[in-house]
Amino acid sequence: MLLVSAALVIGAMSGACAAGVPQIVHARQNHFKTLGRTFKSLRDQIGRSHPKWNLVADDANRIEHLAAALSSWFPAGSGAGSGVRTRASATIWSQPQLFARAARKLLNRAQDVHRAAAGRDLRALRLRARALGQACGSCHRRFRAHGSWW
Amino acid sequence: MTANSAASERVRVWDLPTRLAHWTIVILFGICWWSGETDHMHWHRLAGYGVLGAVLFRLVWGFCGGETARFSSFVRGPAATFRYARKLLGHDGVDSPSTLGHNPLGALSIAVMLGLLLAQTVFGLFAVNVDGIASGPFARWVSFETGRRFAHWHAANFQLLLVLLGVHLTAIGFYRFARNESLVPAMIHGRKWRAPGGEAPYFVPWWRAVLLAAAIIICLTVLLNMRG
Repeated sequence: MLLVSAALVIGAMSGACAAGVPQIVHARQNHFKTLGRTFKSLRDQIGRSHPKWNLVADDANRIEHLAAALSSWFPAGSGAGSGVRTRASATIWSQPQLFARAARKLLNRAQDVHRAAAGRDLRALRLRARALGQACGSCHRRFRAHGSWW
Repeated sequence: MTANSAASERVRVWDLPTRLAHWTIVILFGICWWSGETDHMHWHRLAGYGVLGAVLFRLVWGFCGGETARFSSFVRGPAATFRYARKLLGHDGVDSPSTLGHNPLGALSIAVMLGLLLAQTVFGLFAVNVDGIASGPFARWVSFETGRRFAHWHAANFQLLLVLLGVHLTAIGFYRFARNESLVPAMIHGRKWRAPGGEAPYFVPWWRAVLLAAAIIICLTVLLNMRG
């Protein structure tokens, strides 16, 4: 029984242990920077009267891929208790179903953006991008230990 | 100066536009603080535009408003400010006419406060938050990295504003308890008690403030809705 418990704990921690927590947190931060940079690029384009649709399509595609991978950036043991400075809230690991639901919502909204971008419908794209931004904001409020400005 | 004493007269000191600008900034600053801390960026942006408008209004009103609102009537050089501070900390008192509006230390505080608030709103216009979507309206003119830098300046400047706010509130407490002068009610109803005699400050027609506010609202609406 003891061995089974130990195996479960080790299994849960394996994601964090394989690469080392600092590397995981660093990679996660880089993923979010890429996501932020891509969101901004998309937002800059849809703020124009005549966006460059090839750039919009690239950004929408990248956002969808990143959103699909997002939940895997948070292996158990890579939170604030690991000793590495991170703004990821402990709620991510204490309420995993809630976090998984938020990640799914983000992915759904990213897919909506991708569809609107493929259809080159600027009005729909602006609405979908706003909904995507709201998904980001609501996630930050629940799962980020600090405001998203700094 | 003791309020309500028999030998005192009540004079109008602050005009309505100055008081409205002051309390608008106070309320919107609170909304910006709350919305920034809780990631309600839609409200943060709207309140930030309001602060920018109110600060611009107060800055221009400082050149065309009533006497006590004008920078020329209260901004003093370092020597005069230092003399006032020495007099204030000593017990020889400060002559009443010079403190009917802003005193030299208050003037310094206002100049710094308006400068920091203006810087804060300008940083916010270009700031990009970490998700790249909730950004200032001018963020599209800068890169993600530059926008993040503006966001960090926005955050650092906010700490300075909090320090200044603390100094402002401490000064209000000092005048209330050490000098028996209530500054807050005067900023609400616009009147102060003073020893009889001396000239009353002059004021300008109300339509000047309405025109100025309308011009600022139109300029900001056009500017903030520009599309590249």
